[in-house]
Amino acid sequence: MTTPPVLDIEDLQVRFRARHGVVSALRGPDLRLDAGGLLVVVGESGSGKTVLATALLGMLPSNAEVTGSVQVLGNQVVGASSRQLRALRRDHVALIPQGASTALNPVRTIGWQARRTVRTRRLDPQQGAARIDLELDASGLSPIDTRRAYPHELSGGMQQRVLLALSRAADPDLVIADEPTHGLDADLVDATARRLLEVQQTGAALLVITHDLRLAAALGGETAVLYGGDLLERQATLPLLDRPAHPYTRGLIGALPERGANPIVGSPPDLSALPPGCSFAPRCPLVRADCTTALPALEPIGETGMVRCPYHHEADQDMASHAAAPEQDRHAPR
Amino acid sequence: MWRMIGVRLLSLPAIMLAVALLTFALMWASPYDPAATYVAALTGQDGASQEVRDAYAAAWGLDASGPQQFWAWLTNVTRGDLGISREVPGVPVTRVLLDRLPATVLLLGASTVIVLVLSLVLGVLAARFRGSPIDTGVRMLSYVGTFAPSFWLALLAVYFFAIWGGWLPAGGTGDVRTETGIELRYLILPATTLAISQLGWFTLFVRDTLLDRMRDDHVRFAEAQGASRTGALIRSALPNALLPYVTLAGAHLPELIGGAILIESIFGWPGLGNLARRAAVSVDVPLLLAIVLGGAVLTVLGNLLADIGYRLLDPRTRRSPA
Amino acid sequence: MTAFGLLRTPDRRRPLTGAARRVARLPGAVQIATGIVVVLLLAALFAPWLRPMDTVTVDLGARLTPPSWSAPMGTDTVGRDLFTLVLHGLRVSLLVSAAAAVVAALLGGAIGGLAGAVGGKVDAIVMRIVDVFAAQNHFLFGLLLVVLTRPLFGSVVAVTLSVAVTHWVSTARIVRSEILSLRSRPFVLASINAGASRLHVARRHLLPHVVQALALTFVLLVPHAIFHESGYSFLGLGMPPTRASLGNLVADSQRSLLLGGWWATLFPGGVLFVFCAAVGTIGAWGRDRLDPRSRSELEL
Ligand SMILES: Nc1ncnc2c1ncn2[C@@H]1O[C@H](COP(=O)(O)OP(=O)(O)OP(=O)(O)O)[C@@H](O)[C@H]1O
Ligand SMILES: [Mg+2]
Repeated sequence: MTTPPVLDIEDLQVRFRARHGVVSALRGPDLRLDAGGLLVVVGESGSGKTVLATALLGMLPSNAEVTGSVQVLGNQVVGASSRQLRALRRDHVALIPQGASTALNPVRTIGWQARRTVRTRRLDPQQGAARIDLELDASGLSPIDTRRAYPHELSGGMQQRVLLALSRAADPDLVIADEPTHGLDADLVDATARRLLEVQQTGAALLVITHDLRLAAALGGETAVLYGGDLLERQATLPLLDRPAHPYTRGLIGALPERGANPIVGSPPDLSALPPGCSFAPRCPLVRADCTTALPALEPIGETGMVRCPYHHEADQDMASHAAAPEQDRHAPR
Repeated sequence: MWRMIGVRLLSLPAIMLAVALLTFALMWASPYDPAATYVAALTGQDGASQEVRDAYAAAWGLDASGPQQFWAWLTNVTRGDLGISREVPGVPVTRVLLDRLPATVLLLGASTVIVLVLSLVLGVLAARFRGSPIDTGVRMLSYVGTFAPSFWLALLAVYFFAIWGGWLPAGGTGDVRTETGIELRYLILPATTLAISQLGWFTLFVRDTLLDRMRDDHVRFAEAQGASRTGALIRSALPNALLPYVTLAGAHLPELIGGAILIESIFGWPGLGNLARRAAVSVDVPLLLAIVLGGAVLTVLGNLLADIGYRLLDPRTRRSPA
Repeated sequence: MTAFGLLRTPDRRRPLTGAARRVARLPGAVQIATGIVVVLLLAALFAPWLRPMDTVTVDLGARLTPPSWSAPMGTDTVGRDLFTLVLHGLRVSLLVSAAAAVVAALLGGAIGGLAGAVGGKVDAIVMRIVDVFAAQNHFLFGLLLVVLTRPLFGSVVAVTLSVAVTHWVSTARIVRSEILSLRSRPFVLASINAGASRLHVARRHLLPHVVQALALTFVLLVPHAIFHESGYSFLGLGMPPTRASLGNLVADSQRSLLLGGWWATLFPGGVLFVFCAAVGTIGAWGRDRLDPRSRSELEL
């Protein structure tokens, strides 16, 4: 018998009942992550990245409807009891939430929050405290001063490092980092990437959510591209950045300043009124008639990759011409 | 931080002076003649002779001009002399007030404790078991408590607990040989019915603020680490919800004084509220004025204390030790 | 003046809406509340025809009878029909409270409007005055006002005045901040830049919002006014026995209660409670609709 993967997501669907209708935030991404693995999830704002992270922990709000399967170390999360979920989070998973400045309790010192982490995770008080101090030290923070400080007395980067230190206290099997470099300078982005890779080297699986392709490049591993709740492409990170397959991924990379800064025309889809077919079709430069009738299937690409676009081959020539004439791209027909 | 408290304490007399001026001006501007009323009450007829009235007016210094009267009254107040009460003849207002103060402090204190404790307990329960029958029950009780006049609830409580059930006394203070002159049994109904007027929405406030705070990232972070919902609620959400709660308490607990007038009257409670009613009925203006001023002092102090409390509790407003 | 300003009592007087908002969000709650208000208003309006007061007689033979078909709310200690008394009491209560709420809303609207529209020194002075009034205990200060003005103007005016003087502050603050926020909105600024006259801007852009805010504060003030009126009447300082309001009736009922006649207390106060709760629910609904910030129930 083989050990189950750390994370195994199959056909995960998340819908929110909201005032203005039903928002379908995730539509069946299939993702898998083994021990020591690294998966970067990229996508624009609103593409469902945070919903994905929250769903993995079974912490979606009560207005969410979840179907499909999420297994963490072989434990089914969808439909699990709150007791099971608690045990899973406590013993195996660490989430570094989006927005470091709000993820720490503003009226408590870091020391208090560190002690809470140790208690909650049921660590030995002495060892847990020592471990956190070690982690703080390793990320360049003075344990004594930091423990004494309130969150507002720390900079954004320091808060981020505190969160990472707290997350590592219990040697989790799965670490999820949601936008760990949001609002950080370039050198801090590199430092964060290094710290995250350390986590991976200890044998934990790492899921990093970001819209920063440079962070993805610094991390390596595999990258999954999320758009409007759909998984559009999954490949090893470096090939993906080098030779993106899906027109959307190409667009994302083309929007980088060093690649010509051509933003994708149009705006992200309205998740409460999604068109049938490919969610990217309305903005796609390669759109065909059948793109708007049925959601394309994921096709294998490269060694282990997947792409949800039957026309991605044709994109190669198309994109080449675009690169030659960036002006044209900007005024591409809708 | 301490500077701000200092400044605000210093400005306390300023606002009190303004409040005193306002109340005094109102009284002075109203062509109401206290001497005439008093004489009429004394003799039981309206048509007391002008001389008698003037004599009283002169004796009380009512023949002076408005500003003069205010000045005289103000200098007396600063010496702790609030004038002579007419409701309790011949006794200085200060004396009358001090006699009545302990009973009111006891009642208000008990009500305050009831409001604070029950609102936190019920609010936490309702938030923790949101959507459950507990939540619904707490919300319904809060709704009733907010919209039902306190004097009505008090009378219904008297009927149910004292007249029908006979479990609790319907009023009075019991054996006066106790330390405060009040037996605790006698405190239960007045303190509870007085508390209900504020309890309802204090509870809802706690519940709603807690539910808001439960959505905060740091609370969710605690849960993501494996904290229980109850643990996250009490350890992470509650300390943050307490900040606005302190402001609320400071701003609204002084409003209990208004309710105390009604409740003390119903239960024959020997406090300032009952005294205020008697002063109002017999138009004992110096006495009523003193009580109104006392109410204003409490209101301003309540807000000040809440502000100080907030600043002490919130590390973001407390200056960090450099 | 700066030291003074620091003492500004924060305006957090929204207890009634807080309690009612949840209820107002229940489906059908606002309809039921409106139905209750309409029925009670009609009952109060047509009280003299439904149950003429002159049918109420002291009937010592029918002392303290429990509710029955002929006397749906029972009788009091001297055998008077409570249903009739309650209908007429409601009439008095509603009249005084509505008058008080109107005057308070208009007074507050005028003062707040002045402060907001003129700004500068006027605004500063008004806000200091607001501080002084906000430092008072409503009920106690109102009591002093009633005592001072009642012999002069009579009960109705005295109670109306006292409620208005103690409650204009919140309306003034709301109207003032409404105007201040409107004045900085793009469409108003655009209109001013386009050369519209002050009057035009005020009439076209400010007035509709202000009227809306005033209507809402009026509704929200009604329960407060009822509490004050009934409270003073309960103490024997509000309405005279000849124009008994529901507060008087509850006060009178204390004698019945001692003799076991719970109905004499339950019904007058109950009507008071039901009316306040219904109006409060409507007010909460209105505030929910006007204030978008209070609407985020389902958002993360
Ligand atoms: N509780 C909820 N109720 C309704 N809709 C929700 C809820 N939570 C999230 N959504 C919707 O789901 C979509 C995905 O949101 P999500 O927060 O996952 O985006 P994201 O990819 O993390 O974006 P960002 O980069 O801004 O963090 C959004 O359109 C959001 O409005
Ligand atoms: Mg996100």
